[in-house]
Amino acid sequence: MTPTSVSNKPPRPAAMNSSLFSAFSVLLLAVAAAAQSPLVLRPPEPGVQTGSLLKTNVTYQGHNQRIPWQKESPGSRRGLGVVLEGNRVLVTGQMVADATYIELELPESGQKIPARVEAVDYEANLALLAPAANGKEAAFFAGLRPMDLDTSARIGDALHVWQTGRVGELIVTPVLISKVMNEGYVVDNASFLVYEAQGIIRSEANSFTLPVVKGGKLAGLLLRYDSKNQVATVLPGPIIEHFLKDVAKPPYDGYPSLGVEFQTTLDEQFREYLGLKPDQPGVYISKVVKGASAERAGVRKGDILLAINGESIDARGDYQDALYGALSISHVVRGRAFVGDEVEIRVLREGKETVLKGKLTRKLPEDYLVLPYQFDEGPRYVLHGGLLFQELTRPYLNSFGREQLGGPLLRLARTAADPEEFETEGRRRVVFLSAVLPTPATQGYERQSGQVVLAVNGVKIGALEDLAKALDQPVDGIHRIELREFPRLLHLDAERAAQDNTQLMNGMFRIGSLRRL
Amino acid sequence: MKSPFFLLACLALVLPPAAASGQAIDLSSGDWEGVVNIDASVLLPDYREPWNAGQPTGGSGTGFLIGKNRFLTNAHVVSNATKLVIRTSNDPRPHPARIVHIAHDCDLAILEAEDGAPFEKLKPLELGGIPKLNTEVIAIGYPIGGDRISVTRGVVSRIDFRPYSHTQVDSHLAIQVDAAINPGNSGGPVLQDGRVVGVAFQGFSGRVAQNVGYIIPVPVVSRFLKDVEDGSYDHYVDFAVSDFPIENLAQRRAFGLQDNTGVMVADVEPAGSAGDLLKRGDVLLSIDGNPVFNNGLIRMEGELVNMNEVVERKFAGDVLRLAFLRDGKRQEADVELKRFDPYVKLGEQYNQRPRYLVFAGLVFQPMDKNLMDAHQITDSTASYLFDNYLAEKLYVERPEPVILTSILADEVNTHLTPYAHSVVDEINGVKIRGLKDVRDALSREEAGKPFVIIKLLEKGRPLVLRRDLAEAAHPRIMQTYSIRDDAYLGLE
Repeated sequence: MTPTSVSNKPPRPAAMNSSLFSAFSVLLLAVAAAAQSPLVLRPPEPGVQTGSLLKTNVTYQGHNQRIPWQKESPGSRRGLGVVLEGNRVLVTGQMVADATYIELELPESGQKIPARVEAVDYEANLALLAPAANGKEAAFFAGLRPMDLDTSARIGDALHVWQTGRVGELIVTPVLISKVMNEGYVVDNASFLVYEAQGIIRSEANSFTLPVVKGGKLAGLLLRYDSKNQVATVLPGPIIEHFLKDVAKPPYDGYPSLGVEFQTTLDEQFREYLGLKPDQPGVYISKVVKGASAERAGVRKGDILLAINGESIDARGDYQDALYGALSISHVVRGRAFVGDEVEIRVLREGKETVLKGKLTRKLPEDYLVLPYQFDEGPRYVLHGGLLFQELTRPYLNSFGREQLGGPLLRLARTAADPEEFETEGRRRVVFLSAVLPTPATQGYERQSGQVVLAVNGVKIGALEDLAKALDQPVDGIHRIELREFPRLLHLDAERAAQDNTQLMNGMFRIGSLRRL
Repeated sequence: MKSPFFLLACLALVLPPAAASGQAIDLSSGDWEGVVNIDASVLLPDYREPWNAGQPTGGSGTGFLIGKNRFLTNAHVVSNATKLVIRTSNDPRPHPARIVHIAHDCDLAILEAEDGAPFEKLKPLELGGIPKLNTEVIAIGYPIGGDRISVTRGVVSRIDFRPYSHTQVDSHLAIQVDAAINPGNSGGPVLQDGRVVGVAFQGFSGRVAQNVGYIIPVPVVSRFLKDVEDGSYDHYVDFAVSDFPIENLAQRRAFGLQDNTGVMVADVEPAGSAGDLLKRGDVLLSIDGNPVFNNGLIRMEGELVNMNEVVERKFAGDVLRLAFLRDGKRQEADVELKRFDPYVKLGEQYNQRPRYLVFAGLVFQPMDKNLMDAHQITDSTASYLFDNYLAEKLYVERPEPVILTSILADEVNTHLTPYAHSVVDEINGVKIRGLKDVRDALSREEAGKPFVIIKLLEKGRPLVLRRDLAEAAHPRIMQTYSIRDDAYLGLE
């Protein structure tokens, strides 16, 4: 019996940065593989020209997680956007992450127009682009035909991956849906519906976001391609539909989550212990996330989850979907419902069935103690006299790669994985000493890093703002910094630190700003 | 990287102890018979199948006579030995031997021959002192590269506090020499002017560093010999306090310090010698009358050494006189030194029969380094507990964490196999603080509850076994997996 979860634990730990990279590299690998095999080149399907696709070119620049006042070197991504009604263009969220400049390009003529992000959801990995209003947009979109959405694809269906060649010609690759399931996209904190499709996809130069088509309609966007196993993972139509509906009704709310973790009940002795009858379905709720939909509706740890919105849940945590068959129950909340919808949760508690009702909510990234992802803005920090304080985030931890984390990093990673203890202490964020720049004020502290800050000048630190404020109040000219880990206590000369701050900004470190809050 | 030299050399030929360095050696004289080869037959305990006796293997090293039928060698030469044989250069007979004392924390052991008569006429080697830097020493022993005795020569390169790799968690004074010290040299004497100035014990592999060998110096050897005078080895004592240098001027001002004296107490082990006395944020001013500098060093015999050097030379029950500042007030107090046990689990342990308990195919074992390595445990909770056992004082709540190491598959437990490597928190309502608690808790039946309920740390759901099914399955599983005893809990 494997522990499984609904919506709150990532099924596939992946860093945004690294999955972008791997998506790119598998596609590049696919080029090499395709060189030996005949090209899959087909004429466009009747009635469909490249007239629904736009080349999308993005220049991006991420922030340095560990030197938070610096940005990384810029890079570029090229992909295909899908033209939708109202001169809007759909691409994946990862296309536009940390974008500094976005442009749309007509595949045949090469004509370009700048664009901006109208809506983006990094969890669902979707973004909607709009052309810059420079008076040329009407002419630019004049020859383009919006695509319709298909949400009917199911196991066994043939789909086509679309790419454009050098002069805009359409290159079509068939793939076959073999599985439908729930999986993480590119950020760690959420999982959604995906199609898994078999097929050999060759890669053209600009193939970051690729449309996947069924019968001339958009059935999904290619999420990743595993060239070794020839498996394409497709971000499916139903999730795109959810996104577009949500965008159409501002404010954008995103995808709701239930906020529970559950365990399967296949083990007969466990079932007997729980008081389940031999043929009774349901899963054991092992964790209820504070403040999330389930908790608000009254779900408790130890309840047996029997049904959500009338969909019965089996001992594995699946329900029977009309289109897909057995599918994780999390899709009923995440993929089919909207924030604010009523939810009906049937549980077995102390042998009695209870129906709980509530409204679905979404846990926003900023509701997390440890930010699950962060794009388009830099990490928050306070640099004082050479001591660098940051808030713990997933991107920060991910910046160390997958290398075995040891010592302070291991403890921070654990805090991120199991934040409950910190949340109950009333923290909104985990503030830690991330590095020490060598200044006169930090003499003797040079090698310290990774300690969680408990209090500064007697003030408890629940977020970076608290720390910034506390640093205004040194006692007898000395800042007293209490840490959770060795060496537990540091002192900083207030006057010296203020002088060093000037040096940090004007001296060799050339730090533009001492804080980002 | 650094591994104890433990090896396969044989036969003894040796240098006369009195020979001045540089002098030619006459092997026929018999003067060197006191340097002996030790051949060990070893049984490596099996922490994966703890009910098995283990893997037979063997090794060989060097030892030398230090008194009447008393041979000094490294602990790692004779660890886990089932049979020991001493051979000398002038005598074709193997002499069965046994361990009299073994000190894993400083990698030393004393052996005796079962029949001491053949060694009665041999002259024991004498201990010298700490050699000076850049003076010549010779290392004698039976290293790889041949069967007969070997002599290598070099100078003293460095004298420093070093980790001892036998346990991986102990550090003591060690002398670095550039005389070649190779596998098989272990336990052999290193001489200067005919006296023993150290026991060869570890080095780096050639890929890491060249001409770096380490010897256990006389102060460590003498401490060991003194410790065992009462007939048993009592282990090193520990101050169990971590200090943080007070280099920062603001730090110094905040503590009200005037000069370069005083080091900050950053951590105090509650179960350690000073657990009841010192607190985090105290400033240690002096130790046994030696002023402690702001970097944690003291001046001893003219040289700056780690303040723990004072503790190194003491024994269980000895007293340490401390002066410290708390809230700006100077205080003085005595601390009785004792051994600090919890850290031992974090290092390699030897001569231990693995402890375990099997119930209905569930194998429970106490957490220690041997176990973590053998099972290659990567479960995040278990690794965290192991890595932070000291740092987060987890040993206070769980002196001996118990891990569900494996599940011997059977109908009764087939759904539980994914939970291998979990930390056991509670069984039948009893908090598990050690392996014996597992035995007691399993036998605890709650009226009207036909289940055995095992709560794991951070695993979401309890493991549940129906007691009648589990008890019926138990003998079957024991037989299927060839387990003779369902538990070994150690000496009670």
